[in-house]
Amino acid sequence: MKHISPIQVAADAPARAPTRRALAKQQTRQKVLAAARRLFSEQGYEGATIRDIAAAAGMSTGAVFANFTDKSDLFREIMTDDMEALLAAMRDAAVRGRNAEDGVLKAFMAGYTFYKSRLQLARAAFSVSWDKDGGPSLRGLPSSLSFQDVFTDLLNAAVERGELSQEAEVKLRAQMLFDTYLSNFPQAIFEGWSLDALQARARDQIRILLAGARRG
Amino acid sequence: MTTDVGPPPARPGALRQSQKEATRQRVLDAARELFDTNGYQGTTIREIARLAQVSVGSVFTTFASKGEILSEVMQARLDPLYAELDRVVPHLRGSTADRLRTMFAIHFEFEARQVRLFLSHIAAAYDWTLSPEAKPFGRNLRFPQIIRGILQGGVERGDVRPDVDLQEVLVLLVAAYAWTYRLVVTSDADAKAMIAVMDRQIGLIAEGFAPRA
Repeated sequence: MKHISPIQVAADAPARAPTRRALAKQQTRQKVLAAARRLFSEQGYEGATIRDIAAAAGMSTGAVFANFTDKSDLFREIMTDDMEALLAAMRDAAVRGRNAEDGVLKAFMAGYTFYKSRLQLARAAFSVSWDKDGGPSLRGLPSSLSFQDVFTDLLNAAVERGELSQEAEVKLRAQMLFDTYLSNFPQAIFEGWSLDALQARARDQIRILLAGARRG
Repeated sequence: MTTDVGPPPARPGALRQSQKEATRQRVLDAARELFDTNGYQGTTIREIARLAQVSVGSVFTTFASKGEILSEVMQARLDPLYAELDRVVPHLRGSTADRLRTMFAIHFEFEARQVRLFLSHIAAAYDWTLSPEAKPFGRNLRFPQIIRGILQGGVERGDVRPDVDLQEVLVLLVAAYAWTYRLVVTSDADAKAMIAVMDRQIGLIAEGFAPRA
């Protein structure tokens, strides 16, 4: 890839391009985020301190605070990035399903696959999600709330196709599917379950949860 | 430190033992209060020691980690609950779904009294500093056994399909139970609200284990 220096960019499009300073700031942010991601994964949310994160990023704590309000801000930013990427992957997977059951299973697997390489970060997120202060804020993120919509949309589409009954209680069922998806993570995190093992369990669970929604 | 616990013991060893037990109890009482007020992350061993009026060092001679203290607190609370459940189970009547609803409702009512304590118990499962002795939510086997017993009874009564995987039904029920507590995090739900949601969830899972018509 051809390297374009910030100055060239600025010269080409003076009105819209970021200034050199803005680019430097952006680079600093990325460096902090990468260091934070690593430390949260290694030491958990509680264990990682801003001071350690700053040291790992090779900068002062002041420089970190110039970019992020506090540790929870940093964590939310990392989680938002991941959740947005995962949401897109889940939506793609869901529409590739042969039917509702298969679509739900594919959405589950998109999530387990995405987090396979970052289970320790997932672990930190679960820990925060049950926290008095961190929990409401993490669970209230727009991307966090959108996961359930993946399942709601999937079930609604199946109702429209006539595959599931009109009385399928879509909202409750979507919520339970999402909770069930989450509840299998401890097996992956602590017991080293493979994607195949997770898939086998998820398939049975989804079948049970959709049984009452079938037509006829 | 002076002690006013009971008559003088016969042996110095016994005195040490009873002092140790008193310390332990004070630590557990302080921890229960702090976990219920400040949650798992918000509670430190140092604060527990301060409230219990013991040294941080003496907390660590008895417990290996924060998670282990919480496990002991929960264990002490749960023993009477399970004793109650053992008395209730033989008197349960009605469908398997209704029996399950009763069992879970008892849990919600019990845990809602100190609900932050229970959220701490769930959060502890993900703690990095957890020692092997700790038993956070999910590692207690007694509760799943009771639920499994009810499902097994349902197979015998004929309202649970014999070919359904009871283990998977059990996993779904326990997941639904734990995740219903998220309503406390997101909307300060009380026991009544959680029981109402759980009742519907059990109904939905029951459709999955009902014999095919």
